[in-house]
Amino acid sequence: MSELTLAQSYTLVALNAQRSMEMTTAKKVALRCISAAVILEICLEQGLTQNDVHIRINKDQFEQSQHTVYRGLTIKSVARKPGIASDDLRSWLKKASRLSRRAMIQLERVMADSLQEIGLLEDIPHVLGCDLYFESAGVRVKQYRSDMGEYARIVESTRAEILEEGPLTDETICILWLLRESGCMREVFSLHELGRVNERLNALYATVPLIRQLFDIRISHGIELTIKRFLHLKREVTKTPIGRLVNFALPFIERSQAVFIETETLITNPTQRLHFVIDRLVANGNVVTVLQEGTIPSVRIDNLDYDVVTHAIYGRFPIYGVRLLPKSLV
Amino acid sequence: MSRQRSMESILKSEYVSIGELVRLTDTRYSTLKHYTEEGMLPFEQQEENLTRRYRREETVARIELIKKLRSEGRSVPEVKELLSWK
Repeated sequence: MSELTLAQSYTLVALNAQRSMEMTTAKKVALRCISAAVILEICLEQGLTQNDVHIRINKDQFEQSQHTVYRGLTIKSVARKPGIASDDLRSWLKKASRLSRRAMIQLERVMADSLQEIGLLEDIPHVLGCDLYFESAGVRVKQYRSDMGEYARIVESTRAEILEEGPLTDETICILWLLRESGCMREVFSLHELGRVNERLNALYATVPLIRQLFDIRISHGIELTIKRFLHLKREVTKTPIGRLVNFALPFIERSQAVFIETETLITNPTQRLHFVIDRLVANGNVVTVLQEGTIPSVRIDNLDYDVVTHAIYGRFPIYGVRLLPKSLV
Repeated sequence: MSRQRSMESILKSEYVSIGELVRLTDTRYSTLKHYTEEGMLPFEQQEENLTRRYRREETVARIELIKKLRSEGRSVPEVKELLSWK
């Protein structure tokens, strides 16, 4: 069991299932918050709870340490001039959220590399790479996958602390704030639980200085967060029974979910069809487990479950194949 | 408020919280909460603050036993009955 820093823990949550080769809006939101997580991590070590208005950060200290390359990089991007920088927490976090595109790419690389080195993050082929249009165009799509055990440990221990009675640790307060700023609250808590989270934070607001200090600060970028929320909502809708039908009939609405794999000819035998699909997925680099065989087989691709449904695309001539439809997790 | 305890200090302490049990046993919070509500995980609760405290060694061993019984295909009521015999 590894002891991760605040920034590493949050990165595992934020980068999970994000495209690794493109700078998507959702990834931009995640990277801005990862940068803020690095600042919070440094501040926590200096005793943020002691009501310090100004926080002094020695850039050279962090550059010397090989284990904290990401700290040095963040300070370099955030601090205006080299050397010892002093500012209040709000300014630090605001600056961290305004990283340039180049700085974001560098931060992503450094954070992902540090987690890949300890085997907690993988760069896996996206199932979309098997889709007829992507495959025939030679477009490679990849995504990050966090170690599922470590991911669950971080998320579940945060949930346990906030949903139970009792004191909150500083790390949990920071993670909750980062989840709020990156628009990930609905991915971690149910609607009912969110009410409880809100209730607890309101109750502790007056007595806990860190909550008061942190939850008054907003670093999220409205447009980016709105786009991210819309895309998340769209993805959730496609997992409902009606959404699945819409996704099946109009796959372009949620292209990343309704993947079409062509079989070239009409294969009537379901077992043969399934093997064809598995071969394509394995060739793409995905790990496939058959959950259920039959007319509509179910497969687990990496860590998500899909139904394999026969489908054909009709244009000037029909293209036979199968469509992978995501299964609802609830 | 305080910093999160390191794994080393958690492993040395007699009592742990439910959040620390999640970290120790790799079990979902909702699962541990359910087991607690079913009376399968005994805890102590102080009067002044309502934090549930679990005896680390016994609770971790009990969770491992429950996981083993569940992997053998036993239902939660069956596991509960088996635990009450112990």
